Amino acid sequence: MSGNGEPVTIEKSGVPYVQLSGISKYFAGIRALENVNFACELGSTHAILGENGAGKSTLIKIMSGVLQPSAGEMRVAGRPVHFRSPSDAADAGIVCIFQELSLLPDLSVADNISISDPPRRFGLIDGRAQRRRAEELLARIRCEDVDPRALVRDLSLSRRQMVEIAKALGKRPKVLILDEATSALTSRDVETVYELLDTLQDEGVANLFISHRMHEVDKLCDTLSVFRNGGHVETFKKAERSPSEIVRMMIGRDVEAQFPPKPEPVARPAHLSIANVKWENRLKGVNLNVGKGEIVGLGGLDGQGQKELLLALFGVLRGVEGTVRAGEVTGIPGSPDVAKGGKARIALVPEDRKTEGLMLPMSIADNLIAASYDKVSNGPVIDPAKERAAVAEGIQKLQIKIGSARDPVATLSGGNQQKVVIAKWLMTDPEIILLNDPTRGIDVGTKQEIYKLMRDLADEGRAILFYSTDYAELIGCCDRIAVMYDGAILTELTGEAISEEAIVAASLNIDTGAAA
Amino acid sequence: MTKLFSRIKPENRPILIASAFILVILMVGTAYTLSTAGTAPLLSPGYVLQQLQIGSFLGIVAAGMMMVILLGHIDLSVPWTLTAAAMMATAVGGDMAVPTGIAVGLLVGLVNGLGVAYLRIPSMIFTLGVDSVMRGLMVAHTGGFAPQDQATPFMRFLAAEKILGIPMAIFVWALVSVIITIVLTRTSFGRSIYATGIREAAAYLSGIRTRLVIIGAFMMSGVCAAIAGVLLAGYSAKAYQGMGTPYLLPAIAAVVLGGTRILGGQGRYVGTLVGVILIVLLNSVLSIMQMPEAGRQVIYGSVIVGMLLVYGRGTKVTA
Repeated sequence: MSGNGEPVTIEKSGVPYVQLSGISKYFAGIRALENVNFACELGSTHAILGENGAGKSTLIKIMSGVLQPSAGEMRVAGRPVHFRSPSDAADAGIVCIFQELSLLPDLSVADNISISDPPRRFGLIDGRAQRRRAEELLARIRCEDVDPRALVRDLSLSRRQMVEIAKALGKRPKVLILDEATSALTSRDVETVYELLDTLQDEGVANLFISHRMHEVDKLCDTLSVFRNGGHVETFKKAERSPSEIVRMMIGRDVEAQFPPKPEPVARPAHLSIANVKWENRLKGVNLNVGKGEIVGLGGLDGQGQKELLLALFGVLRGVEGTVRAGEVTGIPGSPDVAKGGKARIALVPEDRKTEGLMLPMSIADNLIAASYDKVSNGPVIDPAKERAAVAEGIQKLQIKIGSARDPVATLSGGNQQKVVIAKWLMTDPEIILLNDPTRGIDVGTKQEIYKLMRDLADEGRAILFYSTDYAELIGCCDRIAVMYDGAILTELTGEAISEEAIVAASLNIDTGAAA
Repeated sequence: MTKLFSRIKPENRPILIASAFILVILMVGTAYTLSTAGTAPLLSPGYVLQQLQIGSFLGIVAAGMMMVILLGHIDLSVPWTLTAAAMMATAVGGDMAVPTGIAVGLLVGLVNGLGVAYLRIPSMIFTLGVDSVMRGLMVAHTGGFAPQDQATPFMRFLAAEKILGIPMAIFVWALVSVIITIVLTRTSFGRSIYATGIREAAAYLSGIRTRLVIIGAFMMSGVCAAIAGVLLAGYSAKAYQGMGTPYLLPAIAAVVLGGTRILGGQGRYVGTLVGVILIVLLNSVLSIMQMPEAGRQVIYGSVIVGMLLVYGRGTKVTA
């Protein structure tokens, strides 16, 4: 990679400390980032905005040495660099606080803070110096109440996140990347972090800030960059663009997929009714009704409780509170076995087909009948004739392209694998179908088949609850969209009100005024 | 040759390799006896039947062990489950002897299953603990001495009698084998065992009652160990301390040599049968060759490790 990439210049006072030119990243041929030019300068707080899958996480993983770019060049302080690991990046002053906590729960706070470079004495770790260092760093973020000798596992989630920040500070960063770092914090800690960012900025540190909270971005950042579909759209100073302009920039103008026509919106009696469902701190009182023949979409940004809601309805989670009525059955099922059987007849197409949906080394036929042994058996014994008929019907109904039904399901393409998961559940003749991002990572053609199938199933009188991270898909498929934010449904959009602007605005919990 | 080999389904390769190795053992043993004594006793029907009779105890234990290994678990409580079943059966005596022994196996299996499925204690630890508890109970029961109770005539009949020149124990083994094969290939319980063994999360999310599957598999392992114990007591005319101890490791080895994945989810019962025969023959030929005990142990262990190395290269499973 020589320096042919076009250098990026943006109107600014300083000089870019980190500069990316023509950076691309592919995962097994799938584009995550394409020809990205990006720069960030010292002494600023820079927000990175974008929808799910826009490439934000890939970008910061490349900057912090977790991933290596497939193409392009990265310069730090004007010199080209090739980070092979996060510690390389840390040596160059780039430190990232990741969403997933990187602390070791069974070690003490002090151990964790100094894990990569503990103070030594005669070659051995100097426990006292390590504790002193931890105390100093914790004091900087007003966490004097955290005992450096305490085990991380005994701390609350918010405190752990603060320890994570202290650990990052201990590496003396020049560029500090915060990936949704405030989402787990209590409001007091959030204020502390805001102050810290201001101080760091004054000290000449570049803060790179990824957040889905617009008010936070508005308050902290002086520069904003918008990403979409693996590309860098634009970088601008705060206040140069209105919130509705930013939202439109995040959505872009993508070619729409073909969706089957929707029926006229009619009022439908609730078949599945969910009232005040709570679970730990992820679901905070969800209310929703789904009628027969209706497709209801769950919108919102990743991790607002959509997956937990589906799992709760399917009886996977323990300790769910609230009321759920499915047809004539009232109560939250205790297990998937209860949920799929009896009068409720709920099906769940899970999030990850490879680990939750399928037994990959098992045959296609074995996977297809895995949820309906009772339908192909006489007593405990499986009837081979019934099994063959059921398997053939499932394959035919979803047009699954296979060699032999005895082949391992792992030999199929992603789209056909997902069809196997769906066919498995249709075999149980479900009344309520819960779909958790069923089109993720599958080709466009199969996606359209799945959209069509969903509409057909709804027309047969089934109730469908559909979570997707792709807004275009939600808009194209759903009769109604419930947007989740922080464990509850804030907004329901119906008919004409369904638009990408409205969903994005509701997802970020902002009022875009003109755009809505 | 390699082309032919690659056409064979991966799960069948270990079975073929093990079968080929059985032939090698027979040939080496026969060559030895021909050169020293000028006879070939290994190929006589009497010898084969005798080996199968000895093998039937191991074979029944291995059949139960296979159920548990298919789930990715292990049952280390087999030695004292076997012994306890034998001791209880001889202690009760009469018509209730065999049902009592089997009830002991069911009970131990139930305890193992509950511990692994509900308490979520790793099976390696839990069954080891249960084994130790059973041992303590049996020492308390017998006072640490060899029990004086005799096996009932029915137990002796099952283990030591012959019908049409074939030992009854072989019929029992065959019956157990038929039942296990049907369970594994033809019932929803069997399919659930494979599904749970491959990926418990996916099986659970398919509405399979994975906890009941785990309990069921451990109960089958317990029953098989108990049947082996009752037969062995019949064969020896009485139960004795530590009678199950020599069966644990060979049973695990037989299952794994037969191509069952130790992490669960893959394996055919016919492979376990081949694995049992391989181990019995290997022991027998080594003793015919008058190999000293030390050498026998070294060769026995090396064969198991060596064969698993061969399988490992051929059967990379994507899961």
